[in-house]
Amino acid sequence: MTGNLLVFLGAALASAVEMVETLTIVLALGVTRGWRAPLQGAVAALAVLVVLVALLGPALEAVPIDVLRLVVGSLLLVFGLQWLRKAILRASGHKAVHDEEAAFAAEVAAARAAGRPSTGVDRYALVISFKSTLLEGMEVAFIVITLGANQGATGIAAAGAVAAFVVVVIVGVLVRHPLSRVPENTLKFAVGVMLTSFGAFWAGEGAGIDWPGDEAALGALIVLTLAWALLFTRLLGRKPQAVAA
Amino acid sequence: MRSVIRGIVGFVVGDDIWIAVAVILLLGTAAALERLDIDAWWVLAIGVPAALWISLARARRES
Repeated sequence: MTGNLLVFLGAALASAVEMVETLTIVLALGVTRGWRAPLQGAVAALAVLVVLVALLGPALEAVPIDVLRLVVGSLLLVFGLQWLRKAILRASGHKAVHDEEAAFAAEVAAARAAGRPSTGVDRYALVISFKSTLLEGMEVAFIVITLGANQGATGIAAAGAVAAFVVVVIVGVLVRHPLSRVPENTLKFAVGVMLTSFGAFWAGEGAGIDWPGDEAALGALIVLTLAWALLFTRLLGRKPQAVAA
Repeated sequence: MRSVIRGIVGFVVGDDIWIAVAVILLLGTAAALERLDIDAWWVLAIGVPAALWISLARARRES
């Protein structure tokens, strides 16, 4: 039960981070070049991602659990450590913080500068929207598939991603502006902590480790990972100085 | 094909290949110890944060 809740939360937070970035690009295209092509591109990319999760999720659940946990747990651990590394470097001022306002302004400028067809489909808006939604969504799909397959709960992980998607889209439609107030790096930090903990737990089990306390060790790993991630941020610490689009 | 493989590796491995190498080494060590009937949970509990710290320290030097 707790494991499923954590899978739901992990997928939802990861999805929220990536959806906020995608929303910025689709909004920039929509307000400068019209909504039709950007929305078509985003919907087409989402359809590809849904098919990917629907095919790979159940297929992975059929793999023997020890092999699955070792291989997919290792990938999740590497992926989670990369997210955490980036979030710690940003939080400690060693890497530029992602700025949705700057990203929006850059995207609007690029969309205005690009040529526009007099008739037919706006290929620029369609392709940029499709590509950005697909690229950002791939990370979400990877997280949904790996978290879901290891826990035997692909549906729950997918539900978490869909819930975050719905919230971000509703807020985006209401405000029609980049969601620059969303604490993206904090969300990324939280997702990194969860993916690293899940990855270490499952990859360890796949490698033959008997965790003290069995399933309860997952909760302890999350607390420990959070503690050392905060400690590392402090040890590296200096105030953020720069922002990047 | 080569660029596809490079893309997939880049997607998973990310900015620092050291992290992926460290994870493989840690899991290999843990599996070997478990085969010798030695509890190995501590290898990951200590090794994972150590690997991240080394990667962060390298990034700090480069920045």
